[in-house]
Amino acid sequence: MEHIVFGIGITALTGALATVAGAAEDTESNIGSQGDPNSQVQLAPQMGFLHRIFNKAVAGEPPAYGLWCALGAGLAWAFMAMQINAVLAIVLGCIIAVFVQGVYATTAYVGRTASLSKFGQPVYVDILKSMTTVTMAHAFIAIFCTVTLCYLINVALGHPFPLPLLGLIWGIALGAAGSATGNPYYGKERQYQNQKFGAGVPISASGNIVRYAEAGERNSIDNGWFTAKIGGSASGICFGLIVFLELWRTVLFEKVSAGWGAIIVGILMILIFTVIDRYIEVWARKNYGPYTVAKEADA
Amino acid sequence: MSAVAAKPQAGGAINPTAMGVGIVLLLILLALAWYISPGVGFMALIGIVIGGILIGFGTHFVPVGGAPAAMGQAPGIATGVAMLAAGAGLAGLFGGAWAAAAGQDLIVVVVSGGIGGGLMMAITCMMVNFVYVFGMGIPAASGKVAKDPITGDTQAEYKSQGTEGHGLPFVSFVGGVIGGILGGAGGTLIYVELLNLYQATLPAVMQITAAQVMPIAVSVAGMFAVGLFLVNAVLTAYNITGTIEGPHDPKFKRWPRSIVASAVASALCGLVAILIVVL
Repeated sequence: MEHIVFGIGITALTGALATVAGAAEDTESNIGSQGDPNSQVQLAPQMGFLHRIFNKAVAGEPPAYGLWCALGAGLAWAFMAMQINAVLAIVLGCIIAVFVQGVYATTAYVGRTASLSKFGQPVYVDILKSMTTVTMAHAFIAIFCTVTLCYLINVALGHPFPLPLLGLIWGIALGAAGSATGNPYYGKERQYQNQKFGAGVPISASGNIVRYAEAGERNSIDNGWFTAKIGGSASGICFGLIVFLELWRTVLFEKVSAGWGAIIVGILMILIFTVIDRYIEVWARKNYGPYTVAKEADA
Repeated sequence: MSAVAAKPQAGGAINPTAMGVGIVLLLILLALAWYISPGVGFMALIGIVIGGILIGFGTHFVPVGGAPAAMGQAPGIATGVAMLAAGAGLAGLFGGAWAAAAGQDLIVVVVSGGIGGGLMMAITCMMVNFVYVFGMGIPAASGKVAKDPITGDTQAEYKSQGTEGHGLPFVSFVGGVIGGILGGAGGTLIYVELLNLYQATLPAVMQITAAQVMPIAVSVAGMFAVGLFLVNAVLTAYNITGTIEGPHDPKFKRWPRSIVASAVASALCGLVAILIVVL
């Protein structure tokens, strides 16, 4: 019983860490335009819209976070093997991983933006100096939380995978959850704030991203501030739920019916999320209504 | 015509000669494994090929809209095919590996991995629709079918002007969950087969006890499983050419080609994973 209570406590803690990691990951990727909306940031100068948005998308979020979390976890694991205290080892590992992220962000921004020079897009050194450190700070939070939850899964819950492999797996899952949930909010709602609310961006408007803020030109910190409210928190909830429920069903029900208990609980949770999703879909159809009359649809 | 509006044309055709060559290659690789290690190695390779096929087939179900989805211009999840499939499949592999460590039998371990992947996709797909509906005020609409094949909901009138659709219609949600389940199960099957192989062969190769070999076997099997997962997911991403809405998308019909490619690639990578211990 004590073992189960301990397991549930660790599960709750990892869920909380995952929630923070998800929110920080999405905000970091939005400040760096690393998700799919980077296509518009890259396209805008080619359409004649020069901007001051940071763009470090030379890899998708999942492989990038897979690398950084595996690096943080691997270094932490190496430091622990050198008899360094676990907390200090994780912090040191994550700091070094964040420096790699900083190098990546710098070279990616300079490289991507320099490729647009023929369209007149300048490389802003002040943007490089001010944005890179902000993405690094957010990346540190995301990597630290992910490596810590991997450490807890490994040491406290006894998962067989070594720490670096757990870092790779949960880093990729973090990037997948964060980009899936957070990208539309950044891409549609922030980059195309000048388009109609409650509708997708018409394909003809591609590249015409919003470039001006209340005062002066918009930069990526403004985008991070905006998307942290819904995109970031939704990504946090998404990754937090994934980690928490995956651990919860295993810790509590693994021993029931030779493993089938955890499977049945997993199926039940999938069904619950299916019902919630269908409810959301029907709610939107009822409350927002169609854009055109149904007759056109039949034609 | 924009890239979003472009319909799959010649890319969807199945080339019988290439398929035949693929199957012959697969048989050669299997024969090679049987020749080198007729018992445990050959059986492990069979498991790896089945796992690879499950991953390749499962990835076709995952609704991925890529960059256009991030602007609400096309339905699906706004990320890459390989990335999302890997995220879900590896979450499944995590659960499956845990069940394997607890000493459960093969079916429980593989199903447990599948459910882990399915749960990850169910949560992600639900949150995608949550953000579209409550964050952006956009209902889900498919661009490829007039009616949702599962619910029968009409789609065209919920498509906003100038877009191919947006969000995740119910059929895409179901497709995502099925894709996660197949991917998670396939990744876990590869892991378990390799783990059994390494547990059986490594003590003799490294001259150490079975207890000492366990962490090494788990690590190496885990790394190969992750690597094989990425190989199959990326191959399938090429077959899909960027975006797919789910099982109702015309591109879904391309799956036979991907299965042959996944089987050959898994057999080749699996053979390397086997050779490091049997030679």
